[in-house]
Amino acid sequence: MLRGELTTQLLRWRTLIALLCLAAVPVAAGLSLASSAGHRNGTETGLFGASPFSALNHAMAALQFIGPLPLPIAVALLAATIASADRDWGILRYLYVAPVTRTRLLGTQLAATAIATVIAVLTVPVAGLAAGTVLFGWHPFHVIGAANLTTGAAAVRSLAAVGYLLLCMLAMAAIAFTLGLVLPRGAEALAAAIGFVVLASVLNGQGALHTVAVVLPVHYWQNWAGLLDATGASGLGLGSLVQTATIAGCVTASWAVLRRRDPAA
Amino acid sequence: MIQADGLTRRYGRRRAVEQLTFAVTAGQICALLGPNGAGKTSTMRMLVGLARPDAGTARIAGQPVRLGAPVLQRVSVLIDGPAFVPHLTGTANLRLLWAASRRAWPPRGLADALDLAGLGSAIDRKVRGYSTGMKQRLMLAHAVMREPDVLILDEPATGLDPAEVRALRQHLAARAAGGATVLISSHQLAEVQLLASHVIVLHHGRLVADGPLDTLLGTHRSLEDAYLAMTEGSDRAAR
Repeated sequence: MLRGELTTQLLRWRTLIALLCLAAVPVAAGLSLASSAGHRNGTETGLFGASPFSALNHAMAALQFIGPLPLPIAVALLAATIASADRDWGILRYLYVAPVTRTRLLGTQLAATAIATVIAVLTVPVAGLAAGTVLFGWHPFHVIGAANLTTGAAAVRSLAAVGYLLLCMLAMAAIAFTLGLVLPRGAEALAAAIGFVVLASVLNGQGALHTVAVVLPVHYWQNWAGLLDATGASGLGLGSLVQTATIAGCVTASWAVLRRRDPAA
Repeated sequence: MIQADGLTRRYGRRRAVEQLTFAVTAGQICALLGPNGAGKTSTMRMLVGLARPDAGTARIAGQPVRLGAPVLQRVSVLIDGPAFVPHLTGTANLRLLWAASRRAWPPRGLADALDLAGLGSAIDRKVRGYSTGMKQRLMLAHAVMREPDVLILDEPATGLDPAEVRALRQHLAARAAGGATVLISSHQLAEVQLLASHVIVLHHGRLVADGPLDTLLGTHRSLEDAYLAMTEGSDRAAR
């Protein structure tokens, strides 16, 4: 059933286009920086400034660029669709009489959502590495204002960064998934999820609203970048806790919604 | 095989089904009749666990039915019309629904089912391009390929042409002769008269009549006459 769920959702044009758009960003950014290969990107600092130094630099810079908005939107699209598609198409009643229990249905859909999120997140660094390899080559990971990272340190920190961002995107997926179950149509769930990301990002940018921002998962999404620049990482533990709590809360809410809902609805 | 005992279902203040008790045994083709809103679909939903009764119980093969109950492996259902994943082919949709029952593809009854559906090469086209009748036939193929002991079919002949209706009738008769239990709802009374061995008539959610077709026909010339006499008589009694 999981295989069916994945093939049904991942082979849709909208999914493929969303993934293609994610992959296109590091490629386009790489092309625009091709003339700066081996040099700093203008006066930019951090990951953006070091982007043209190596494939891995470029991949991680692409991830930082795409992380705040395009990636959460793509993840929301996938998650909201997985949660709502069976109902939108009307096949939910035929799955229930197959028979499929609510627990199995929710478990399958959550697993499919998690796998789709992993694919969406990995699309960016993979495309970044591919474009970076061609345009900038493989070199030590460059850190502006500090010594280059060794291969081992760069690999560990990059994996930790991707892992943290994946956890953040799973939280986003959990929110969109819950909206997909609660709202009557997938399109409404997607709109609400995108609205949430945009609104939360705006709130997060307002210094006066700091007390509100710290309870939003969005507030912690960029904390991983410190792992790979001279400033150093902070708040990863709290960020992980907030994302995990968001996922747990959303899964609980999803289960409650599914249990209470009339299956014929 | 199908046992409804005191089934009651309300939607808000409206009583969709009220204290409904009946049984359909193996080998019977039972038609569930009634005007629109009589409670036929609500009854079928309760029989397959898609709606929880406010009172009473539904059993299939002696086992209580709830959402996802294992006994539903022995049941095929067509309810509230056909539904498919539009961007998948007919075959892919059949595979998808079959996989949900955790059984290995292909089902033994697939060839018979595809023969009944008569979709030809269209079975490998995306369902998005199917007509209403083609979707109905694909849904019937899904129901039949499971080789069920019990078929619960809500308006199965909707969208079918006369030849397809006849093929469906013959198929269901053969299934019943093989020991399957068939419960169908329909407004096509002439067709029901040709197919059903037993009839249940609902009106305003209540049981109006229940028994062998010949007994319910009585002195009436057709099932239509008998049905109208029963439902209009029920209306007069209610007034």
